[in-house]
Amino acid sequence: MTKITAGPSHTSRYTALDPVPGDVELLAKVRELIDDLSPDNAELLTAFHRIQQAYGYVPRETIPVIATKFRTTPAMLYGALDFYSEIRTVPPAETVVEWCSGPACLLKGSMNIRRVLESILGCEMSQNTDDGAFGLRLVQCDGTCHLAPLVRREGRYIGPLSVSDTIRLARELKGEGEPEPVPESGGLKAGEGQPAVESAAEQEGGGA
Amino acid sequence: MPTYEELRAQAEQARQPTPGPQRPLIKVGVTTCSRAVGAQETLDAVRKELADRGLEADVMVTGCWGLCYAEPIVEVAHLGRPAVLYGRLTADKVPQLIEGAVATDRVGVVPELALAVLADEPLEGVPPLSASGGLEFFAGQERRLMANCGVTDPDSIDQYISRGGYEGLAKALGMTDEQVINEVLESGLWGRGGAAFSTGRKWEFLRGANVTPKYMICNADEGDPGSFVNRNLMESDPHLIVEGMAIGGYATGASYGYIYIRDEYPLPVERMEAAIRQARERGLLGGDVLGSAQTGARPGGFAFDLEVVRGAGSYVCGEETGLIASIEDARGMPKIRPPFPAQAGVFDMPSNVNNVESYANVPLILREGAAWYASVGSENHKGTKMFSLSGQVQRVGILEVPLGTPMSDVVMGAGGGPPEGRALKAVQPGGPLSGIVPASDVGIALEPEPFKERGMFMGSGGLVVLDDSNCVVDLAIYFEWFAEDESCGRCTTCFAGTRRLLEILKRISSGRGRSSDPEIMRLLADTMSYANCVHGQAAPTVVMTMFSFFEEELNEHLYNKRCPAKVCRGMVRYEVVHHSDKLPAAEAICPTQAVVRENGSYRIDQGKCIKCDACREQAPYAIAVVDEFGPG
Repeated sequence: MTKITAGPSHTSRYTALDPVPGDVELLAKVRELIDDLSPDNAELLTAFHRIQQAYGYVPRETIPVIATKFRTTPAMLYGALDFYSEIRTVPPAETVVEWCSGPACLLKGSMNIRRVLESILGCEMSQNTDDGAFGLRLVQCDGTCHLAPLVRREGRYIGPLSVSDTIRLARELKGEGEPEPVPESGGLKAGEGQPAVESAAEQEGGGA
Repeated sequence: MPTYEELRAQAEQARQPTPGPQRPLIKVGVTTCSRAVGAQETLDAVRKELADRGLEADVMVTGCWGLCYAEPIVEVAHLGRPAVLYGRLTADKVPQLIEGAVATDRVGVVPELALAVLADEPLEGVPPLSASGGLEFFAGQERRLMANCGVTDPDSIDQYISRGGYEGLAKALGMTDEQVINEVLESGLWGRGGAAFSTGRKWEFLRGANVTPKYMICNADEGDPGSFVNRNLMESDPHLIVEGMAIGGYATGASYGYIYIRDEYPLPVERMEAAIRQARERGLLGGDVLGSAQTGARPGGFAFDLEVVRGAGSYVCGEETGLIASIEDARGMPKIRPPFPAQAGVFDMPSNVNNVESYANVPLILREGAAWYASVGSENHKGTKMFSLSGQVQRVGILEVPLGTPMSDVVMGAGGGPPEGRALKAVQPGGPLSGIVPASDVGIALEPEPFKERGMFMGSGGLVVLDDSNCVVDLAIYFEWFAEDESCGRCTTCFAGTRRLLEILKRISSGRGRSSDPEIMRLLADTMSYANCVHGQAAPTVVMTMFSFFEEELNEHLYNKRCPAKVCRGMVRYEVVHHSDKLPAAEAICPTQAVVRENGSYRIDQGKCIKCDACREQAPYAIAVVDEFGPG
């Protein structure tokens, strides 16, 4: 049997909206993307997903278009949009690292990983750097806990990560090599006796 | 419309996944957890290796055995010999596997890669995969819901039907709706999502509603971090859920169903949608299910169809009224009950919300009978329950055991307990709202009562294990952060209560705890118990169980400003305590240049140190974590 949808229609809170200023091409494309969806059919999230799939986020200027399609007000729509953490309203950064916030990762040291990612990439969790080059995204546990603690990048899972691995990964993303450890003294078996004093030039180390 | 017998015959006729003469069968499990470690690459490598060598073999994709710790898993079966499971079979090991297990004419086992053999006896030193022993992870398991997991191709309806699938639906259609509900009631099945309410009773409520259309809703918003049992079922045996929902639709008079899957689960969305499409093609969903109009199961026949709704990242959408609001295109905020969904659910129509695992039990109950179903389990609770194991265990995975099994059998037996050299500290049984079970109580039975007696919930089945390197206060901070972050914002008791709890806990963990804090937290918890939905009511559970079972550790934080596990960042600092040749490496790795070399010796610049632990990883002997506030 095909679907019966029932219940209150959204028409009561619907007011026709004036055409909105904005990128005409973008709005036309969005209209096309959500053309086959209907307002009373549990399909708003589908609309969000499709737009996000196409653009990486839901551009703010598309909200009136979606509202018109779903016969509701931009305010109602923004309320829904704002509620879901996986729907974003800012463009994603060029390089996004997804950090798993789950408990298995936490118990295995994910906070340390978060700290070094934030420190090296130069942005807080759930933010992008000012130039939009790097972004950190907090994601929820999806049950790949045998890799805890893990991060994901472009759909690839990286784990279990040690803090040192993470630092190397982040430096690689930044395009900086790890500074070579400067040996304390040339020929001596290290660890024994007094370390030799290093010259300042050697201390700079060689960036790979 | 074909009858069930015709479908079954058709399914039997479709080529069955068995090895032929000179033609071994190779199964590769491809699910979220195995794809994360390269199962897709393994699958491609197997196909390529076979083609390159010109070998004859069938390659099949399957679901997941639940042995997450040993993914990717490949099974090789030869005609007349027991099949062998190979674990951790990444693409680079494929040539070795094909060489040893397929290309030769000998026994065809590569013992050094093998994990288990699908027989009762060991083979070439490889342990058997059986509940009675052999592979530790399987000991004590009773695989009913998971009978097809890892065995069949989740994208093949024929394989499901040929193993008895949809027989339960066919049987149900030969009964009255009342008889079906009675069968479910008799089995004693209760909701597996956490609330443990009788499934049969719930269905009775919906059947009693006089308004149509009615809806069946499957709650697959498995938001509890650390639980992934529903994901495995949907990925490995999606038809089980389709069948369960169709039976529920018949029993309650519902004509349409929604499966609400969380956004974090893209593969289950794919596989459930494929299953629904196939079921529709075979007449198992649609306007006339299994030709019921002719057989007279119900005047006019039984009509039922399903649709997948993909969530968008919200924990409270796992609460049934929140889930309904989300389906209705609004903010997924829970509502006050009553009215219950059975009276006014989605689109204000009568609806029934059950968990994935609850629905998955139903086909088995109908097919095998309530008596069979009740043959395992404890005195008060019949049937099996799936659990996922993660955190500080040696074997992370998903398993299915009879209800009432001691938790220690799962955590210490199957999971192997904490890593070598570590002691079990606690188990966090199922979701952020469920509390923390101390190690001394790890032997309690896995059924709702023992948890309730301790002021906790058994929850949905995600066991997260803590060892002595973990701090309970730190975990409480995580769960209160989660509860605060995911609070929908409707009740002040919840959104402000969780925030206050979080603030207080953070203060304690930074060494600024006050002696009045426990009392304030108790008062908050008391107030929060008046929140409208379970999210707010249960959010303080973890703090309350900390008071009950970990008071000593909490007091150590509160009064001595010391974190015994040295986890709470505000209470520790890093210091160079010895000299070692690893210190230059520590200096190089430090992301904030906090390891400083001065006159040949090293120190940590506390102003720069972010306490990330990288230097100690590099120089574990030289660098130590010490208490910030020192003794006394």
